[in-house]
Amino acid sequence: MFSYLIRRLCLSVPIVFGVMLLTFVLFFVVQSPQAMARKVLGPKATPQAVENWLQNRGYDKPLLVNTVPGRPFYDSLFFNQMRRLASFDLGRSDVTGRPLKEVFAKGVLPSLLITVPAFVVGLVSALGLALYLVFVRHSSVDLAAALVCVGLMSLPSMAYVIFGQYVVAQQLNYLPAFGFSLEGGSAVRFLVLPVALMVVSGLGAEVRLYRALFLEEMGQDYIRTARAKGLSNAAVLMVHVLKNGMINLITLVVASLPFLMMGSLVVENFFGIPGLGSVLFSAIQAPDFAVVQASVFLGSILYLIGLMLTDLCYAWVDPRIRLQ
Amino acid sequence: MRLFPLRFRCAPWLVAAWFALLAACSNSPYPDSGGAKEGLRREDGQPWRVRYGVASEDPRSLDPQVSYDSVSRRILEPVQDCLLEYHPFKTDPYELRPCLLAAMPEKGERPGGGTIYRCELKRGVHFHDDPCFKDGRGREVRAADVQYSFQRIADPKVECPVFSVLQDYVEGMGEAYERAKKTGAFDYEQAIAGLKVTGPYTFEIHLKQAYPQMVYWLAMHFTAPVAREAVEYYDGKVHAGKARDFFRFHPVGTGPFRIAEWKRNALIRLVRNPQYGATRFPEGGWGADQEELLRPLAGGALPIVDEVRLTTVKESIPVFMLFRQGYLDGMGLDKDSFSSLMTPARELSGKYRERGVNLRRYTEPSTFYMSLNMEDPVLGPNRKLRQALSAAFDAQTYLDVFLNSVPVVAQQLLPPGIAGHQREFRNPYGFDLAKARALLAEAGYPNGKDASGKTLELNFDIAASSAREREMAEFEQRQFEQLGIKVRVTENTFARLMEKLDQGSFQIASGSGWMADYPDPENFFFLKYSKNTPPVGKNESRYKNPEYDRIFEQMAAMEPCPEREKMAHQLTAMLAEDVPQILIFHRSAYALSQPWAPFVQENPMLEGGMKYALVDPELRERLRERWNVKPVWPVFVLLGALVAGGVLGFRSYRKV
Repeated sequence: MFSYLIRRLCLSVPIVFGVMLLTFVLFFVVQSPQAMARKVLGPKATPQAVENWLQNRGYDKPLLVNTVPGRPFYDSLFFNQMRRLASFDLGRSDVTGRPLKEVFAKGVLPSLLITVPAFVVGLVSALGLALYLVFVRHSSVDLAAALVCVGLMSLPSMAYVIFGQYVVAQQLNYLPAFGFSLEGGSAVRFLVLPVALMVVSGLGAEVRLYRALFLEEMGQDYIRTARAKGLSNAAVLMVHVLKNGMINLITLVVASLPFLMMGSLVVENFFGIPGLGSVLFSAIQAPDFAVVQASVFLGSILYLIGLMLTDLCYAWVDPRIRLQ
Repeated sequence: MRLFPLRFRCAPWLVAAWFALLAACSNSPYPDSGGAKEGLRREDGQPWRVRYGVASEDPRSLDPQVSYDSVSRRILEPVQDCLLEYHPFKTDPYELRPCLLAAMPEKGERPGGGTIYRCELKRGVHFHDDPCFKDGRGREVRAADVQYSFQRIADPKVECPVFSVLQDYVEGMGEAYERAKKTGAFDYEQAIAGLKVTGPYTFEIHLKQAYPQMVYWLAMHFTAPVAREAVEYYDGKVHAGKARDFFRFHPVGTGPFRIAEWKRNALIRLVRNPQYGATRFPEGGWGADQEELLRPLAGGALPIVDEVRLTTVKESIPVFMLFRQGYLDGMGLDKDSFSSLMTPARELSGKYRERGVNLRRYTEPSTFYMSLNMEDPVLGPNRKLRQALSAAFDAQTYLDVFLNSVPVVAQQLLPPGIAGHQREFRNPYGFDLAKARALLAEAGYPNGKDASGKTLELNFDIAASSAREREMAEFEQRQFEQLGIKVRVTENTFARLMEKLDQGSFQIASGSGWMADYPDPENFFFLKYSKNTPPVGKNESRYKNPEYDRIFEQMAAMEPCPEREKMAHQLTAMLAEDVPQILIFHRSAYALSQPWAPFVQENPMLEGGMKYALVDPELRERLRERWNVKPVWPVFVLLGALVAGGVLGFRSYRKV
């Protein structure tokens, strides 16, 4: 296992480099730094202001190799960006000049406060409902649940947010339509509605998926054996089906864990949660290329971590799999 | 003997707990009640007055020499006073009045040409108390602080967005910038030659040429005094184990409010500066309809409210919801809320009128238009063709379709409120399709075809990043194609369109416009001045008319007077006849305020005018409670649904 981990880490190096290269191409080759400056500074910017902006951020350097006499060849945009990303120096915001390490660090907690409860509650509810539907499969309840799930899957997440805010916050006045606080008990008040909406919006797809996974298990020989032993339906589902179905579930669940840090773009914006989703949304609107670039880079790294965790968990839960 | 099983005996407690939870619930977006329920009081025993507003994003920079976007300026305005300020009620024409200066600047002749403005600061104005000062007490504002601000404008590292303009006029400013560029650091020991400190409270501004618009720059934050201690203290580094913020996020101003709290991406809380006394409420200038409301405030102390809370709300739907619930004191109308709030007759809908909501419409000093390239071989030499295009464009329908008919159709380059704007003036080539067709024929393209029978083809460049912008471009295209010509639309990124405008590689370009930096005709007519051609300036049409240039130069150097207005009329007439652009609209907007927060000022040159804002917190508390009643019936419906679902599920389970 340890040697596998080392090997995976070594293999990640060229992938990370590829990500860095792609990020560079996306942000400095596809559009020029001059174009970035014009966007950030707006239509009133003078050529002098554009030049000064580029110079202060080091974006005035040659793109790939510095051929200016007396300057080292590596004093270029490419080498400087690679060096920065390789040392996980996220740099500063193009718009506010604030260090991005600080911006991201402050946004992680609010994001986790909605994504983790939504993930846990969503997973438990979806698993419970899926097991129940497997239990009552092919009945009218199962059919009705399928219709409801497809309905839930068909609505865009924005619709849940607007509907939830309108009904719960505006018509019933039970919970805030907007706001966030980390102080005392009021924090929970602000989190209930966004978390509930995130759970409901993901429930339809998850229930259908888990139900399909568990149904596949139901046809296996060991289930027939368990029934032949006289085990109750509940015992068969909770002990055998759930445990064996988990192997497939891990692929889906563990890979998404690191992304919980990145928050939710729609929910954070509509509910005023100052998480990373909201930071990214502002950066796209501003536009703040440094923040978007750092988000793309961090997202890629988190994806790699997610894949690695999935592989390790496989070996942990299924003794038949050997990581060699 | 137990009459019921345990789970049934728990039921009443569960229901009671449910109702207790419901009672504790609140839809308030604020963690506290802004002092209303806590019984927070002012020194005079009155209730603590909080004004609730929104900001669409976090401010980009609160550095007075950098801040240029409207959100940042809105937060900086209450924190940092300027040397002069706009009168809150006098908007036609706009009027300046002293703020940190004791009187309006005294104008004099500069030996060897140019102008000198002699200024004197008010005595006893202090910076806000802050740890950057000795003993944490804000020191008095001195003339040297203005010198420091002018130095910062010229410092390339500061990135002052208006440096390019000021360097043309203020003596020594451009040289200081170039010196700093060469050495890599600005020398703050060397004063800007054009800003002479003549005493502790007096200074002179030396301009290389006559520039009466300089007084407007004194009403902007760029020239506001800044404490050097504050800039040096807030360097963003760690000192004695404690991280300090950057100055651009921790302004130490002189204004009526100071920043008490800033939760990034969420909230900015401004609290009254108890030492504030630089300005007082005006003695008059408001309309007769406001006399009853404002007369008691005349000459009174500012600010009127104790606290301003600006919540960052990036989406428009939550803003509307919070306003409806009474959690916002005011809001601007956008396309999402327009149909809910307004009747087809452009009046407030009945429900909101009954609530006592106030509605105001205001027009910003701005003009939006399409640029026609005067250097283009087809459009440039053919004035009749440009006139035909202008007459083919139905600006009113464009505004009706895309902007809820809110903006005003532009008849001239100068927007209302700017000296020289003529209310009665009508664009001679405003929408008139028959006239457009006749003009096109005179231009050599009868029915859109040239002498050889070939259809005239024109390129139309747009910056399109959304479906809505594409729809707008399609509408514009159709308007021109009514003449029988062919218009090819090219979609560009914003940066690419800017590049094309700079290079002059376009025929017709959309999205040009100008929002006044200051309310002077020079700030609009310079958009067609030949020496202001891109990339150095914003004459995107590349309009070159020696007569226009001559009158413009003369007018720009004159103080406001009737003769100057006449010159502005001449320039308007020239542009109307030459049509270097197709005028579309002057931006207007509707704003709403709650019954407890009446409109006080509506000067669009101010970014909110927070120090004049009023609020009645007791009325707000009463109405909020009335508007946010929690019904109980949904709890029973939900409980019923849960029980029914449980029973149904259990029965299905038993059947299997």
